[in-house]
Amino acid sequence: MRERITYIQKQGDTLEASSLSISPASLSGPSIRAVREDRLTLGEDELPAELRSLLKEIHELHVRWVSPVAYETVSPLLARLPAGFHLFYTPSGGVGGDGVHSTRLCTALQTVFGSIACSTPGESFTSLPADRFSHAAAMQYFQPLEGLDSFVGYVKGKKVCGEEPSCLARVDDLKDASALDVSWDAISHALKVTAFWAYGEKRVEAVAWREGVRTEVGVLSDEKTPTMEAHELGISGLLTVLGQDGKPSVTMFSFPSRHRDAGIKFQAGFVTPTGLHPSLRVTVGSNRPPVGEDEAYCAPHAYLTLPRGVFVDKYQLADGLFLASKNLTALRYVSQPVDLEAPEYVMKLWGSAVLVELTSPPYEAGEKEREWTAEIPMHLRYHAPAHGGYKTLEVPYPAVFWACAAEEGTKFPNNPFERVNLGYDGLFGPRTVFWHLEPRPVEGERVVSRITVPVLDLDKAGWVNVGTAAAVLLGFGWVVWKLLAVYLATGYGAATTEKEKEKKRQ
Amino acid sequence: MAGPVVPSSPTTRFFGSPSAVYLSAAILRGAFLVYGLWQDANSPFKYTDIDYLVFTDASRFMNHGKSPYARETYRYTPVLAWLLLPTAWATGSSIWDVVCFSSGKVLFAVADLVAGWLLERLLTMGGGSLRPMDGTTARKFAAIWLLNPMVATISTRGSSEGLLGVLVTALLWAVMARKVTLAALLLGFGVHFKIYPFIYAPAIVWWMDQERMTSRGPGDTSSKSGMSFASRIGAFFTPARLKLTIISLATFLGFSLVMLSIYGGPFLVHTYLHHVSRIDHRHNFSPYNTQLYLTSAFPHLSALRIESVAFLPQLVLSCVLIPFVLAKKDLPTAMLAQTFAFVTFNKVCTSQYFLWYMVLLPLYLPHSSFLKDKKLGITALLLWVASQALWLQQGFQLEFLGQSTFVPGLWLASIGFFLVNCWILGIIIADVPFRSKS
Repeated sequence: MRERITYIQKQGDTLEASSLSISPASLSGPSIRAVREDRLTLGEDELPAELRSLLKEIHELHVRWVSPVAYETVSPLLARLPAGFHLFYTPSGGVGGDGVHSTRLCTALQTVFGSIACSTPGESFTSLPADRFSHAAAMQYFQPLEGLDSFVGYVKGKKVCGEEPSCLARVDDLKDASALDVSWDAISHALKVTAFWAYGEKRVEAVAWREGVRTEVGVLSDEKTPTMEAHELGISGLLTVLGQDGKPSVTMFSFPSRHRDAGIKFQAGFVTPTGLHPSLRVTVGSNRPPVGEDEAYCAPHAYLTLPRGVFVDKYQLADGLFLASKNLTALRYVSQPVDLEAPEYVMKLWGSAVLVELTSPPYEAGEKEREWTAEIPMHLRYHAPAHGGYKTLEVPYPAVFWACAAEEGTKFPNNPFERVNLGYDGLFGPRTVFWHLEPRPVEGERVVSRITVPVLDLDKAGWVNVGTAAAVLLGFGWVVWKLLAVYLATGYGAATTEKEKEKKRQ
Repeated sequence: MAGPVVPSSPTTRFFGSPSAVYLSAAILRGAFLVYGLWQDANSPFKYTDIDYLVFTDASRFMNHGKSPYARETYRYTPVLAWLLLPTAWATGSSIWDVVCFSSGKVLFAVADLVAGWLLERLLTMGGGSLRPMDGTTARKFAAIWLLNPMVATISTRGSSEGLLGVLVTALLWAVMARKVTLAALLLGFGVHFKIYPFIYAPAIVWWMDQERMTSRGPGDTSSKSGMSFASRIGAFFTPARLKLTIISLATFLGFSLVMLSIYGGPFLVHTYLHHVSRIDHRHNFSPYNTQLYLTSAFPHLSALRIESVAFLPQLVLSCVLIPFVLAKKDLPTAMLAQTFAFVTFNKVCTSQYFLWYMVLLPLYLPHSSFLKDKKLGITALLLWVASQALWLQQGFQLEFLGQSTFVPGLWLASIGFFLVNCWILGIIIADVPFRSKS
């Protein structure tokens, strides 16, 4: 077991080494404005027995949970994902292996994270394109998940802390986290748990989980170092290894990063009235690309994880004129399959992941920046009937970013704060830089968009069965009566004989 | 309607000239087609029907040696994608590409015209209990199909229902002209193409009695009265009936087996089995729709599975009772009534299904109560349109405004439309013994 605890302040905010007090098992300091990231690495033998046996079936697994409450972050912890519970998974036997049809993974996820509504990977997960990036996982799952209360309950239930109050407090702090990553791969045989707390006022307070656990604490700041290149980020500050260093050592380093801050905010919301064909309108604060046109080719993108209640129709998004009328350039990716007809209540698949390229209005250097919008047309599935006639569906904001091609020859080796397996990173080439936009709520504090779904109102449906049967019988009876009347008058044969009879009557 | 010809009337002069009628029908479709091209090229809202994009995508897959079922929601025979193969040709010139892409619509529009021409032939030949009509009057009635803007729109938007129109009119024409082999081929292919024409089989078989096929005078049943029950059963199996049954079955099976051997399971699943397993939960004109939505969401709550009994009234009417009582008296009207019953009592009903019976309307309307009694005719038309409009208004509120109009709005509207259709069907049925006597 080892741990890394990192505080990162904005550029210009720094902390003097003298303001930190260091003991063998803890480090404390004043209140600062910063983000905090805790990364705990656990060996296989340190895990509960039930997880150990499950991990044998797993080649690679990445959980990425993001809070629906909007948060601010600091470089270099910039990678963003739509709010909710994301899972990227490769079974040990590959996509064709037995693990795909086992309920064990989903059952374990329910035990650990609460209401995870998957059945088996084969039924509920989508496959990720395999040909792009060798390190990308094979399958994907997503669903909205409000918080980590279940996870906290699970960890506490495992009695990892004993009666140690500082340890219990740290577990409880997870309830306030804005993001949680859990990664496992069969090559390193290590489980990495990374929790992230949003930018804000917090006291510097780092306590080792228990004695003997190597704990490295960094109190750092975003920095522009003099030797930095365009594709690099810089960090400076104080590093302390608890129990080893008596005083912090000063550090400053730079590293290439695929995730950058575009310095632009965006909002998302459904155009009203939504009907059965809602359009998600993305409003972006500025049309200025993060990098000049002469430096790199850049295009704005939105990456959506759509719960199964709603989907985009790739065939509809194939027409250039239609796309242009919505300020879209192209639909770049939709996870497959997307059943275009099934109602929500018979679907087992989680939903679909979608990548669309947006069209920003052209920007001339020096001109005033403009706010702009793009609309992503979707379709609602039919949802199960409900009392009142309406249901609410929440769709998380997309991750919106400018994707820019870095110069030929640029390498992005893993940096200490790198996040991979985000769903969209595997859809771009290895030299792509993602300049992230910050999601801002339209109202309140949550970055999800709501749709009211009209459904059959169960309060009024009492007469449907009887009424339909009665109407069909009435209609059927009337038609049969008319046929019977013809039959009784003229039989089933041709009309000629009747014609003769008629003649006689005349 | 077949009253004395007034040569001075411009209407009569127009319908007196076949070239004027067919040229107008062709120009109408040509104009819609060209307008559609303009709208597609200039507006994000497309004139072309989504179904046409499904067909042409399937043709493109086929053109690349793949299965048409590689296109999601392609639920038709591969023959359709094969017919539309020219739409997948890329010539390198954008104008010719547009021409190629539109060739399917041209095919559907030409099918419309041929169906109209066959209607005229059917009306002039009389046949069965119908009195032959002069060409001018026949074209007036054929114009209900030929010059109908709704029909022209549907085919030029790229819906394949026009092909059904020509298949059904050709089938009827072949039967009336006693061309049994041709009728059997058309029937077998029609069922392969769109399943529903199987309802015509019992009517045609019933109609083809020995007396009629050997032209000893139409439907002379009196000779049968002295026969025993067993020999009457034996007499039922006439050479014409056996020939029709065998050839049409062989045609259907032949097409289906060839398609199965080429495209395998997906052909069966998408062309036929899909229609059995689909749950039809989306709002449509069918009276069963709301109930199907309800039971598909809570299958355990309903004691009786509606989808397993809904076909009973539909098939009893369209395959048994209507053919039995009406086919020998007036085959075209019997087929119209069958289609009307099939569509009205179907588990799913959309406006393109209306075309299935609309093509037979010109054969029934002459001498019908609706034309004899103008007030009745206008009432029926208004009720048919108004009950549909009411449904559409409720559907609009659901689909575009997001209001939960499933119950009571849409449900009652679909029940209302259903009852209006049943009422109209009753009048059509009651007309049969009287039409031929006027």
